[in-house]
Amino acid sequence: MNTKLGHVWPPILVATIFLGGWQLLVVVQDLKPFLLPAPSLIASEFSSGAAMMWGAAYYTATTAFLGLIFGTVLGLITALMAQRFITVDKLVAPLAAGLATVPIIALTPILNNMFNITSRTPRVLVTAIIVLFPIFVNVTRGLIQVHATQLELMRSLNATPRTTLRVLRIPNAIPFFFTGLKIAAPLSVIAALVAEYFGGPQQGLGSRIASAAANTAYGRAWAYVLAAIITGLIFYLAIIALERLVTPRTAQVSTTH
Amino acid sequence: MTPTQLDSENPGSALAISGLSKVFNAGNPNEVTALSDVHLAVHTGEFISLIGPSGCGKSTLLRVIGDLTGFDSGSVQVSGKSPEDARKERLYGIAFQQAALFDWRTVTRNIELPLELAGWQKSQRQERSAELLDMVQLSEFAHHRPWELSGGMQQRVAIARSLAVDPPLLLMDEPFGALDEMTRERMQNELLKIRVETGKTIVFVTHSIPEAVYLSDRVVVMSPRPGRITAEIDVDLGSRDEMTRESDHFFRCVTSVREALRAHDTSNSTSSSHRGEI
Repeated sequence: MNTKLGHVWPPILVATIFLGGWQLLVVVQDLKPFLLPAPSLIASEFSSGAAMMWGAAYYTATTAFLGLIFGTVLGLITALMAQRFITVDKLVAPLAAGLATVPIIALTPILNNMFNITSRTPRVLVTAIIVLFPIFVNVTRGLIQVHATQLELMRSLNATPRTTLRVLRIPNAIPFFFTGLKIAAPLSVIAALVAEYFGGPQQGLGSRIASAAANTAYGRAWAYVLAAIITGLIFYLAIIALERLVTPRTAQVSTTH
Repeated sequence: MTPTQLDSENPGSALAISGLSKVFNAGNPNEVTALSDVHLAVHTGEFISLIGPSGCGKSTLLRVIGDLTGFDSGSVQVSGKSPEDARKERLYGIAFQQAALFDWRTVTRNIELPLELAGWQKSQRQERSAELLDMVQLSEFAHHRPWELSGGMQQRVAIARSLAVDPPLLLMDEPFGALDEMTRERMQNELLKIRVETGKTIVFVTHSIPEAVYLSDRVVVMSPRPGRITAEIDVDLGSRDEMTRESDHFFRCVTSVREALRAHDTSNSTSSSHRGEI
């Protein structure tokens, strides 16, 4: 019990000091909201516009969720295909680095033209492409980072590559898959939100932040940012919960480093 | 010494190897002759140890027998069959230095892995794994995960797994190499007990002279560059008990294996008597 509390109070303390310092800075220096709104202002905007916040977050979260599912499925398929050709981990790292430099979000205007801009489709696609990469890289790594001795064992048991994939590689890749999901899930919210900056339906968090800022409603803009943070956090926590459910405790610990 | 002639026609032959050679990186500057003109015959039910310094090819020889790696010339017969056929017919079980258990499977399901791949029905698998768990005295850990077990217990699971399909031959590559001395001796006793119960033919690779002597009917001494068999020493200790390790006979056997190992250590380095082999 003691140790549990020990884990809880440092972040609370840090957050309190941070928010207190922020509030103090704004009040003492008499900063204007367009420079930096006070936490109290953001909080009051957040609570007074709660229904709007919820609606916008729900819209963006739906885009993010669809993109996350779609991108994860694509990532898994590509990883399973790549596993047959990429046999060494050394090949994954440069591939991952190369993919990371592709400015996917910049594809949004192009996708907006390719697909119906008034629909959710282009945003879901951008989110899916962004999600695909961390899933692909991590799962590929999990599929090929199998102990040499375990592979020898499978050979001694006269296992076909397909059986080895099913019995050894896929179970081995599950913790790696969750590592990828933990990166991908909050990323999907950011992608869905940023994709809204390029036009299309206006009811999402990204659109609301942009319009609030354009109307000099800085407190409200920040309140939407807060809603976005909470949405990302919920996605992340949902993945953690799923991981707890699927993999036994110690297996997670051994793969987090 | 024991005859090393080809006797694959003999039904009592578990293993017949003649003129076996294997070269790594053939034709390259870093060419290594891993095995050179190896002759070895093992009878059904015999326990032999392969011993020698690093690079003598003992693990490679074991892998050739198990068809985990190929060879360049000579002939290898496992129960009268090619290594590939023997592997495909699951005529051997193997245990490595690492237990190589699957963390996501329980102890029972690890032991059942070879049975699953051999297409056994679930009820048969459960019956067999219960039997094996009993043999290695881990019944109470049946539903634990491998990481919850000590190193010695993990190795016992690996041994049970290697015995799962009841193969006539057991290949063991330093299975106790990573264990502490006390656990190691206990595991050796358990292995001998399993051997008596099952009558398996066992080929056991080790670095340890006392281990080789304590376990084997015959110790096969190997030497590096090129990897080859330089001596075969029969160990006639009879049935082992707690006093065996402290008997004069045991020490005499240990001494003769040590001398056989040393003989080739010095013959390689011309006149100087103690040039360390790397």
